[in-house]
Amino acid sequence: MKTYFLILGIGLLTLYQVEAQGHGPIYGLQTPTLAKGGINMNVAGMSIATEDETSYMLRHTLFYGLTEDLQITLTTPTIIERLEKAPRTRGNNMMPANGDIEAALWYRFFSNAFGVGKRFESTAILGVSAPTEDIRGQVNVGNSILGAISTGYASRTWYAWIGGGYQYYFEKNYEQLGDLPYASAVVGYRPNIFMGDYPKPDWRIFIESLAEFPGDNKYTGQANFTDERSKKVLVGPSFLGLYGAWGISFGALFPVVQDLTPGAVKENYRVSLNLSYWL
Amino acid sequence: MKRIALIIVVMVVGSFSSNAQIQKINQEVFGMDCAPCAYGLERGLKKMDGLESVKVSLNDGKAYLELAKNNNLSLRQIQEEVKKNGFSAKKAEIAINGKLVEQDGTYIIQTGKENFAIADETSNSLRSRLKPGVLTVKGIVQDEEDDNLTNNWKLKIIQIY
Repeated sequence: MKTYFLILGIGLLTLYQVEAQGHGPIYGLQTPTLAKGGINMNVAGMSIATEDETSYMLRHTLFYGLTEDLQITLTTPTIIERLEKAPRTRGNNMMPANGDIEAALWYRFFSNAFGVGKRFESTAILGVSAPTEDIRGQVNVGNSILGAISTGYASRTWYAWIGGGYQYYFEKNYEQLGDLPYASAVVGYRPNIFMGDYPKPDWRIFIESLAEFPGDNKYTGQANFTDERSKKVLVGPSFLGLYGAWGISFGALFPVVQDLTPGAVKENYRVSLNLSYWL
Repeated sequence: MKRIALIIVVMVVGSFSSNAQIQKINQEVFGMDCAPCAYGLERGLKKMDGLESVKVSLNDGKAYLELAKNNNLSLRQIQEEVKKNGFSAKKAEIAINGKLVEQDGTYIIQTGKENFAIADETSNSLRSRLKPGVLTVKGIVQDEEDDNLTNNWKLKIIQIY
C-alpha cells in the first residue's frame, strides 16, 4: 500500500512532465488526437501483480503533434520494483509496463468528423524499443519493433475502440523474448451528470479488455522449445477525468482467461494511474 | 487643392479598409469531443491577433468569436486553426461589414481579404434591399471542404443592418 502512495506521490511531484492519451482508455489501443505543434505529457504509475510478486513503475511519455494526423511519441520507464519472473506482456497496449524505452509514430490515416462531438477515426502505430535492463523474466532482452492499428468512434456520450498489434523482440546473446500479438476492445460512456459544457470537468467510464498471445521465450539451456503460445484475456474498468488542459485516468484489469504454456507466469491483476497535461 | 483631394481619397480608402472586416463568427466544429480538445482549440484561437473574445462549447460544437474593431482576420484563418487542431470546420454564422459589389449578375461582399458571394438561398426580400456600397450583414457561410479552403465563400444573408 505504501508503494502505491509512493507511486502516486512521485507522479504528482512530476506532474509538470505529464502526458495523457487524449479522450480514451488507459489500457486499450485508441486514436489520440493532438493539434499540429501540440505537446502532450504524461506520467503513469503502473503495477502488475503475479501469484508471487508485484512490480511498480513510473512511465513518462511525451507526444508531439507533427501535424494534426501525425504524432511522435517517446516513453521512458522508471522501475521502482522489478519482477523476478515477469509475465510476457506489454502490460498496457498504449505504452509498455516493462523496462523498455519506446519511440513510435502514430499516424491517423482516416478521420471522419460527422457531427457535433462525433467522429470515426483510425490510427496506425509503428514503434521501436530498447530495454533498460539486460534480463527480463530470466531471459536476455533485446531491442524490439512493434506495429499496431486502432480504429474507434468518439462522441459526447459513447466511445468504442478496437485494435490489434504485434511486437517482436530481437535475439540477444542467443536468447529471445517471445513475440507478442495483442488486441484490445474498449467501450466508454459519459453519464448525463458529466455532460457539463467546457470548461467544466469532464468524466467518462470505460470497460476495457485486452487479449494477449505471447510466444514462449527462448533461452540458453532450454530442454525443448515448443513454439506454443499462451492465451490471456483481461477485463476491467477505467475512468478518465478531464479538466482544461489536465487529465487523469486510472483503472485495473483482471484476468478472465489464462491458458498458459509451461513456465509462463500467471497474473493476478494490473493497475494503472495516468496523469496528463496538454501544452 | 490637389493635395487636399489626395488626403480625402486616402482617408476614404483608409476608412473603408479599416471597417471592412468580419465582426463576429459562430463557427460550427465537428468531431470535438473532449475538454482538452476544446482547450487546445480555444488556446490556438486566442493566439490570433484581432480576437476580442473566444468561447468554445463542446455541447454546441461551436467556437463563438467576437472580433476586435480593427481586426485583420479572415474566416479562412479561423477554419484553418480548427483543422490544425484535428477537427472539421463546418458552416459559420458571421456578421461582416464590407463593400457590396455586383460582378456578372452576382452580388459579392468584399472585406479586403475575402469575398462572400450572396447565396441563392438568401430570401428575395433581403435581396431586394441590396445596393452596391458599404453595408453590414449577418449570414450563414456555407461549409467548404477543409482541404480546399480559399478566400471565396457563399453567404446566405439572414439580416441586413
